[in-house]
Amino acid sequence: MNRFLPILPLSLALALPLFGGEWGQFKGPNGTGVSDEKGLPTEWSREKGVKWKAALPARGISCPVVFGDRAYVTCSSGKRDDRLHVLCFDAKTGTQLWHRQLNATGQTACHPKTCMAAPTPVADASGVYALFATADLAAFDADGTLRWYRSLTGDYPTITNQVGMAASPILVKDKLIVPMDNDGESFLAAIDTQYGKNVWKANRPSGINWVTPLVRDVAGKSEVLFAGNTGLTAYDAADGAKRWTYKEGGGSIPSASVADGMLFLPGAGVSAVKIGAEGVEGKQLWSAKELKPGFGSPLVYKGKVFSVDGQGFVACGDAKSGKVHFQERTKTAFSASPIAGDGKVYCVNELGLTFVLDAGSTEFAPIAENNLGEEVLGTPAIANGCLFIRTDKTLWCIGK
Amino acid sequence: MHRFLWAAVAALVPTAAFAADEAIAKPIAALKAVAREGKNNDTVGLAWSGLVSQGAAALLPTLEAVDDANPTSANWLITAAGAIAEAEAKAKRPLPVEKLVAFAKSTKHAGSARVLAFEMLSDAEKAKLLPGFLDDPSADLRRFAVQDQLEALTKQKPAPKDALEKLLSFARDPDQVETIAKKLETDHQVKVNLAETFGFIANWEIVGPFPSARGKALTVKYAPEEKVTPGEKLKGKDDAEVTWKSIASKDKYGTVDFNKLVGKHYDAAAYATATLVAEKAGPVEIRVGSPNALQVYLNGKKLFEREEYHHGDAMDYHVGKGLLAAGPNVLVVKICQNNQKETWAQRWQFQARACDATGAPIPGVTQLVGNAKLKLGAVSAPATEEKK
Repeated sequence: MNRFLPILPLSLALALPLFGGEWGQFKGPNGTGVSDEKGLPTEWSREKGVKWKAALPARGISCPVVFGDRAYVTCSSGKRDDRLHVLCFDAKTGTQLWHRQLNATGQTACHPKTCMAAPTPVADASGVYALFATADLAAFDADGTLRWYRSLTGDYPTITNQVGMAASPILVKDKLIVPMDNDGESFLAAIDTQYGKNVWKANRPSGINWVTPLVRDVAGKSEVLFAGNTGLTAYDAADGAKRWTYKEGGGSIPSASVADGMLFLPGAGVSAVKIGAEGVEGKQLWSAKELKPGFGSPLVYKGKVFSVDGQGFVACGDAKSGKVHFQERTKTAFSASPIAGDGKVYCVNELGLTFVLDAGSTEFAPIAENNLGEEVLGTPAIANGCLFIRTDKTLWCIGK
Repeated sequence: MHRFLWAAVAALVPTAAFAADEAIAKPIAALKAVAREGKNNDTVGLAWSGLVSQGAAALLPTLEAVDDANPTSANWLITAAGAIAEAEAKAKRPLPVEKLVAFAKSTKHAGSARVLAFEMLSDAEKAKLLPGFLDDPSADLRRFAVQDQLEALTKQKPAPKDALEKLLSFARDPDQVETIAKKLETDHQVKVNLAETFGFIANWEIVGPFPSARGKALTVKYAPEEKVTPGEKLKGKDDAEVTWKSIASKDKYGTVDFNKLVGKHYDAAAYATATLVAEKAGPVEIRVGSPNALQVYLNGKKLFEREEYHHGDAMDYHVGKGLLAAGPNVLVVKICQNNQKETWAQRWQFQARACDATGAPIPGVTQLVGNAKLKLGAVSAPATEEKK
């Protein structure tokens, strides 16, 4: 294999750390849904405020991810939804840089609302890690070189979920944390980012689950928080050892948030508990059923909790007390999670209409309503001063 | 000196050709030797880069290598082929069109690689190839060809009956079959029997319920698995006596509903058995759709099992591959219901068909009902859902 060695430095050189925005996973930095960028767009339409748009080859409900000057999107196609696509775009111009295709090795049946391109990929300076609902997992360098590929169904053949999997992997340093709760062999695994080998694999109870894990630092150690049907479990990111569990923290679709020493748990509403080094401390601080999320995960931003749901409700409450500021019903369902930056909260509904809210306001008074007129089910990304919104047909870059 | 120079060149040419072949063959061999859980991904990843760096010369060998690759290796190869083609296009170098056409046409190659080769061709080349894919073993190429003709026929009012019937014989996907059937009915008042078209098994001997708390029935061999004896009385759930019943599904997709036929039960299993008669031995796919956990046996050999409840019942979701012996073959399907109380978790049913690898009924395979051999999908007279 020595003859191939000279090629490696080239591919790594192309994958050196880039510059600019970073929204490398589901709900961006640390899974918060919050960007620290300024000058983010407020108003746009199909014709106005669009920096670029790029055609996509097929459907997907995964979120776009951006790292430096690369934007990545996954799609799935074919009558059997068994063609899996990973695309890389120049984040500044929208030029398609490369497009790789895989064939599904796992099952492809799912609810019609979802598809095999449902889990959100993870991007870092070296490239992108793309997980599909078929349990196919591939790592590509930023130049499109296939670094490694795993058929998790090939490795663990009982993996199955006829509704369709959608939980997304997250990155913890040099480990890709892969959630795989399903009706067959269920697990949470850490996979090394260089070669795609298992670092650890923690068995989980069988049962379908769409929650994306969270990571937090505890005294210099990374801890993975993963909610499932039997509660929330904290795993040591280094070796997968269980550190603590919180039975009341179970979930199945939206993901939790950690902010200001508090853990915000989605369920029938949103509840909050204090979280310390050893886990949840004390009793529940508050619970607000009015903040009930649907498919989207709640957002914690500037002392408030925002949630949207499948009936078109947009709700906001106080993060410390749970006091509900507003619960407003709009006309259309939401699937994408709310995200925020630059003092604004962006809530995109399933028809592609974005409500831009002033995060400082305690009333539902959108400062703009921007319509792209295409179905949006995936959460947008914020990077390089722009919003990246993916529809079934198009990747839109909104901004200057 | 010239002759020595030529001699040297002549000696070097085979060596260079051999080295080029090796530069392609070795990484391909590495990609086909992928280990479970990515244990040799370090060498495989390097091989991928090495293969792609060989450019267009590696394209056809890479596609050909998919033929006997396992699904994991196939994806390493498929992505390499795609990367090579993309790099050639960016460099504005033409792809080897004639070789790609020949590859796409050759049914000895893997369907996924043939589809990829087909998609690398121009629209004009694709159009020329499509009619030849109507009876193709590749589900995708067949679908493309059927769709192409279907779009042309749907514009005609009426479309020729023989053309529609011929296209129906090639179609395998339910959406295309239904569209053609609807067109036949609209244009020519011809009613298509979908159960027969797909080869669903309509006639069953069923028995149940048997106990299955926490999926127990998947680990227990109840009497119907040991021996199928229609008419026999058996001990079922809660020690109740259960007996075999002959039923015939009138559903166009062959659905057998245990809630209607044996009653609504939780933590329960029911069996259905049918006898398939094959004129000659050969491979068969038993394809099952069910929202419940299930096991499928053919002539006593387990073809398939899955423990999953109420997450969908897509047609053909479960595929068991087996061999039919010449003469009668006993198919046994065990369907387990759990104890979920939600309204969407109450179904206890299945559909099953016997077909070839393309999804078509196998010529010479019938169902034995009483003493009659019926076409698969045909309902034994009288056509009632349940015969006591």
